[in-house]
Amino acid sequence: MADKHLKDWKNELNICIRCAYCFEGCPVFKIAGWETDSARGKIILAYGILTGNLKPSQYIADKIFQCTYCRDCSERCSAKVSVVDVLAAARADLVEAGFASDTHKGMAKNVEETGNIFGDKEIKAPVQKGEIPVYIGCQYLARPNQTKMYLKILEKLGVKPLVKDEICCGYPLHALGFRKEFAEHKKKFLELFPEKEIVALCPTCAAFIHEDYKKNVKHITQFILEHLPEKNLGLKATYHDPCDLSRVMNITEEPREILKKLGIELVEMPRNRKTSHCCGGGGGILMSDVKLSDEIGIVRIKQAIETGAPLLITPCPTCEQVLKKAAAVVSEKGDGTIQVKNLSDIVWKALKT
Amino acid sequence: MKIDLEKLKEIVGADNIKNDIADLYIYGSDASVHKGLASVVVRPTTIEQVQAILRYANAELIPVIARGSGSGMSGQVVPIDSGIVMDLKKMNRIIEIRPEDMLCKVEPGVVDDELNRALKPYGLFYPPAPASSRVATIGGEIANNASGIRSVKYGATRDSVLGMKVVLANGDLVNLGSNTRVEASGYQLDRLMVGSEGTLGVIVEATLLLKPLPKFRCLAKASFNELKDAGESISEIIATGAQPSMLELMDNIAITAVNTTLKMGLPDVEAIVMFEADGKVKEAVDAEMKLMKEICEKHNGFGIEMSYDVAERTKLYAGRKKLFAALSRYQMGLSCTSLADDMAVPYSKMAECASKIHEIAKRNNVVMTAYGHCGSGCMHTKILMDPTKKEQWEGAKRAVEEVYDYVRSVGGTTSAEHGIGLSKAPAWKKEKADSLKMLKAIKKALDPNNILNPHKMQDAPEDWVTATELRYPVE
Repeated sequence: MADKHLKDWKNELNICIRCAYCFEGCPVFKIAGWETDSARGKIILAYGILTGNLKPSQYIADKIFQCTYCRDCSERCSAKVSVVDVLAAARADLVEAGFASDTHKGMAKNVEETGNIFGDKEIKAPVQKGEIPVYIGCQYLARPNQTKMYLKILEKLGVKPLVKDEICCGYPLHALGFRKEFAEHKKKFLELFPEKEIVALCPTCAAFIHEDYKKNVKHITQFILEHLPEKNLGLKATYHDPCDLSRVMNITEEPREILKKLGIELVEMPRNRKTSHCCGGGGGILMSDVKLSDEIGIVRIKQAIETGAPLLITPCPTCEQVLKKAAAVVSEKGDGTIQVKNLSDIVWKALKT
Repeated sequence: MKIDLEKLKEIVGADNIKNDIADLYIYGSDASVHKGLASVVVRPTTIEQVQAILRYANAELIPVIARGSGSGMSGQVVPIDSGIVMDLKKMNRIIEIRPEDMLCKVEPGVVDDELNRALKPYGLFYPPAPASSRVATIGGEIANNASGIRSVKYGATRDSVLGMKVVLANGDLVNLGSNTRVEASGYQLDRLMVGSEGTLGVIVEATLLLKPLPKFRCLAKASFNELKDAGESISEIIATGAQPSMLELMDNIAITAVNTTLKMGLPDVEAIVMFEADGKVKEAVDAEMKLMKEICEKHNGFGIEMSYDVAERTKLYAGRKKLFAALSRYQMGLSCTSLADDMAVPYSKMAECASKIHEIAKRNNVVMTAYGHCGSGCMHTKILMDPTKKEQWEGAKRAVEEVYDYVRSVGGTTSAEHGIGLSKAPAWKKEKADSLKMLKAIKKALDPNNILNPHKMQDAPEDWVTATELRYPVE
């Protein structure tokens, strides 16, 4: 059945009035320019599959997977159509119909075999006993120095983090349509994390554990803010809102409060908080469509450079990675410079002094 | 229909052509209830490319449907006979801004809000302001003679277009209109193009009249327990000679929809009237606002909130701005369809028209709302229904006919600003019965081979329900 998962979203597809307001902020549409690349275009494709007007094809699969899941569309949609949920269902149907890309299949296999998206058995959580369960996530685990920094920050703030021998949160399996694999993985995850309250480092993991596992998740920025003393770093910076943190978790002020407490002069980009522009790293395109991801990242970094701030701070490891790359490309072309740093670097700098 | 893709590739380049069934399916839709299928989508970037496409299509008798963002609600850009869909969004340059002449020249793919952002540093703005201004292109707005909240003071698109370059069906390029505020020389061909919905030519450049941004703008919201009182307030505000820059109505269905979807916290009343004044002198704006407030109070308006502050005004107006899509969440299982969505009636009939809409909805077992830019005589509705049920479509069809029968009976018109396309064509043809021959003659003269957006407006099928497949699967 090509619509096994999509049929649950029939009402949502009827609710979309196709007004095209989602064109306004869609990062993929802004780069590619065809309506097929817009959120409305993808919704129409999903509708075509559901109604039998369209037969699933590799071209349709490529388009449905060409989305960063940034949710700018739903934020602008007055009917609040859950575009990401519709696309996730369409992706699941397409995967079951045999249209998963080799890259995505490889990633699903990695999660199954090694517990992380990279398929690297050497990636291990720094297991430690403690009081507050902290979920680190694949992206931060692949950056052991930053993980260590966050754990040291927590300890410096008087908190003893409990770190388990964790596995991927399962978001990539769900987002990329591997529903069977996800169902199995979810059981394992919930056995490992029976706690109702978790502190998560990665915005995407935090949003997913909160939304899909219905756990009471605190993002690390919320936790840090509660315990952080005032400092004066005397820096000037702009802040990039990760999509999952701002549009899903509704966490926009806490990171800004942290920067304020550290004496950082914040210069906002015109697109900030819930209207933040995606970095280009989400929804799986970082793996499957690097060129598109890079192009979106460049759009965002140019917005940051326009603020005149010498520094961009973000708490998301994926945003940091994509934007650092974009900053290097833009700088090389002579189109301006900006340094990109993870929030952990800034907080640790303030605390260690 | 055989289309020479190699020929089109020669004209626009392979990167600017799409012909996968998925693309054709997407480009067969807009914000209406209709659904068609394009044969190919091309994306020209220059006037010369548009000319070459039309020369080819005219020689081969292939329909060409020019398209902006596809946000129209009446099926204007839905292809009926397949053909070439010409996506003009890539022709999006602001060619020049001439503050000394109060005009600008733009390509058709420029988005309204983006133009206004570019004009702001000059202290100028382009007034039509349809609710879709964030995505609507100038070419699409001209083709539909769009207007919006500020039409009560600044007029519709037709009042803001000085001239244009148009590529005719045979590929010829013509300059219509002028760079001047007035022009009394012969037929106003530029004005003929405004609202022609791509049936007479393809607009490839527009010269637009600009207005100075007002220094002061004040917006107010008044609540009413009777829809009739709200309508009478609107009629009296206009009749007394007040000059609002916005005068909007929302009925209780519209209020419920935005409260449900967007958690707007609007008062749970029968109707809300929003009124705004703008200008260079604060005392003058104050005087307009005072007058309109008194009229609302006279007609039992209450809870009047008023603000000059940009953030507060944005908040006050947000519910109205986002209404169209929000109506889709009015009630589980009902979808918001753009049917009988747009009309205009004389000012004295605003209250009666709103009540009539509710009455007709009830009789035909559908839900209909009444709202709109009533200050310019414009009334909007939408039909909220279960689009999967055949009987709901039958009810909707009756409701559409009854609404437009009423509109004609009071001397109103079928479309205030959303255009005719397919779904409003049967009613419009009744309204224009005595000028249909003229309309068809004009079309024949300018497009003898009927390649430009065929089967729309005066040439549309008689039954909008069967004019195309419906976008909804009906059980």
